[in-house]
Amino acid sequence: MINIDFDSLEQPTLFDSLASDVKYLDKPHFDLPPNSNPGDFLRETFAHPNAPKPLEFAHGTTTLAFVYSGGIVVAVDSKSTQGPYVASRSVKKVIEITPTLLGTMAGGAADCSFWERELGRRCRLYELRNKELISVAAASKILANIVYSYKGYGLSMGTMITGWDKTGPQLYYVDNDGTRLHGQRFSCGSGSTYAYGVLDSGFKWEMNDEEAYELGRRAVYHATHRDSYSGGAINVYHVQRNGWKKISSDDCFELYKKYYNIAPINKPTN
Amino acid sequence: MFLTRSEYDRGVNTFSPEGRLFQVEYALEAIKLGIGVQCEEGVVLAVEKRLTSPLLEPSSIQKVVEIDYHLICALSGLTADSRTIIDHARIETQNHRFNYDEPMGVESCVQSICDLALRFGENRSSGEERMSRPFGVALLIAGVDEKGPSLYYSDPSGTFTQFNAKAIGAGSEGAQTTLQEKYSKTLTLQECQKLALTTLKQVMEEAITTTNVEIAVITKAEGKFKIYDKEELAAVIATLTE
Amino acid sequence: METLKLSALPEQSKQQPINHGRFEAYVDNGGTVMAVAGKDYCVIAGDTRMSDGGYGIQTRHYTKVFQLTNKCVLATSGMQADTIALQKRLKLMLETYQKEHGKPMSTPAIAQFLSNTLYYKRFFPYYTFNLVAGVDEKGEGWIWTYDAVGSHERVKYSSQGSGNQLVIPLLDNQVAKRNQQIIQGNGDVSCDQVVSFVKDAITSAGERDIYTGDFADIVVVDKDGVRWEKFELKLD
Repeated sequence: MINIDFDSLEQPTLFDSLASDVKYLDKPHFDLPPNSNPGDFLRETFAHPNAPKPLEFAHGTTTLAFVYSGGIVVAVDSKSTQGPYVASRSVKKVIEITPTLLGTMAGGAADCSFWERELGRRCRLYELRNKELISVAAASKILANIVYSYKGYGLSMGTMITGWDKTGPQLYYVDNDGTRLHGQRFSCGSGSTYAYGVLDSGFKWEMNDEEAYELGRRAVYHATHRDSYSGGAINVYHVQRNGWKKISSDDCFELYKKYYNIAPINKPTN
Repeated sequence: MFLTRSEYDRGVNTFSPEGRLFQVEYALEAIKLGIGVQCEEGVVLAVEKRLTSPLLEPSSIQKVVEIDYHLICALSGLTADSRTIIDHARIETQNHRFNYDEPMGVESCVQSICDLALRFGENRSSGEERMSRPFGVALLIAGVDEKGPSLYYSDPSGTFTQFNAKAIGAGSEGAQTTLQEKYSKTLTLQECQKLALTTLKQVMEEAITTTNVEIAVITKAEGKFKIYDKEELAAVIATLTE
Repeated sequence: METLKLSALPEQSKQQPINHGRFEAYVDNGGTVMAVAGKDYCVIAGDTRMSDGGYGIQTRHYTKVFQLTNKCVLATSGMQADTIALQKRLKLMLETYQKEHGKPMSTPAIAQFLSNTLYYKRFFPYYTFNLVAGVDEKGEGWIWTYDAVGSHERVKYSSQGSGNQLVIPLLDNQVAKRNQQIIQGNGDVSCDQVVSFVKDAITSAGERDIYTGDFADIVVVDKDGVRWEKFELKLD
């Protein structure tokens, strides 16, 4: 006997429409702007003459990571800006994805932290299902695939994914276009050009750990010195064979005194 | 038990005149032995691994699995079915961490497992997953949360109950009586471990070795589970003969 | 939630392309909210003026601070309609959580959950600027401060809204004791001192910001729950 499906002929009841409204509340999903291209929506909305002050998202700024003989050093600043306004000087721009994976934050702070949290969730599920840790290559590919699927939606993200897996220390760069690069030295954000200058000139493969930390710290420090969007404190992390470790957190102003040995003119009188 | 077996055992959507769902009851029969004991300090799970052939590789059978750092689960029955359940529970616990930045409560996790187990009778619209029969697997779920350590038992019908000590599977009636006699709330974790293993030993046909049992503990102090390796198992088994 | 799902893209071929010259998605109803956390308490202040986005005042009695649980409040400035939509969503999920897990959502959990909720509107954001303030499970007072799409940070003091840029330097100086030439005391202050300081701060914002004024809600959250107080600001 053939079953004929009459469902489509039935009128939706009041309950159906209520149920479909409520159905999506507990299911995570993205709301999209009505009748417009998500990537252009905010720009067009705030171009309107009567529009209120544009929404400024928190942005992050100088981040770097490099591979050397002893592993990977990740160094970042901690200033977050919304336009010219300094929203925070104490942001954690190194995102601890899992106990063995680190990510960095440059571009939209919410974009980076949300998607790297999502990456952390998927990496943990991978670990539970496969009884082994995910490789850095696979993790960075997951992130690159996610952001690529949102191409044109206006995500802003420049991140380095690092970790030490079966194949040794690995460093990948992933950005919002879906670019994914494997490499030895990366820097990202508005202060990256300054950081690259110091990093590339000071880099050697053979370094002891202290030299490597100092190179990362110094590179970010000089970026904060010339780039107003960078500053706050400089956090240094070290990726080692069995997981990452936080090395230091130094205020830029203290480093200024250390590097230049100049007494500040407004030195506190305490 | 099945004297009244009749046409009523063919589907999961029809009760027998006595008010029973036979498919669910048959599923309960598919369960093998497992024991869980809970105390102030933590929970111990001990499971028998029945090695049906000497050619079988013992390490390929895993009866205690991780759901999250603070939640483990001993399975008994059709292990294939448990894969669906475990994966569901893992996704739920990870989603909870993602949404609320906190570990999921033990009872909430058990509840979500039972929600899945209960789906067997549902008619689902196209596109949604369908289940044709109840899961043939019972679980002992052990975990720690802010309320302390706890032990839950969930069966194929989707019912869950909290226990201080519970034996499940073939021969569990005798084991449960032993547990009832020997259990007290003041037991230490070491004693719980010993109790679980001696009870298991009583019911098992073969002698206990490091290959045919699996033990896992989860402690309040660490908030993290641990599945015993060969050396640790041997050490625990050695205490039994004292 | 195996993968995050997008709601369907509008079928642009079937719909008239939107004229952004006419569609106004947002209005800023103004107002200032601020919060200071102490060792085991939080003090939150929010004015009650609601402007029409320009110079008009729509109401003088719009409360910007909302109690979420008896350990946690949400303070929101920005667009009133979006604020209410956001609150409704949060409230529903708080109730669902209570039923599913048999306990009220903890303050840190609310903080993370709000971040996700805001991010799910990443492509059509709520025009809201939020502060979550409350005490955590250990009884410590904390503030979480957000941008419009859910980037958040746990801090000891913060402010949001139209008077933010007026208030924040004052908080930096007086609460964090930052950039002070002479630092006196160890920084431990009592709840009463913070309440009167917060009153001064919101009065100062009202003095120089046209969108802030009328009245202020001063809310104290500690282990005993949430206490409300009304405080008068200038009405002009």
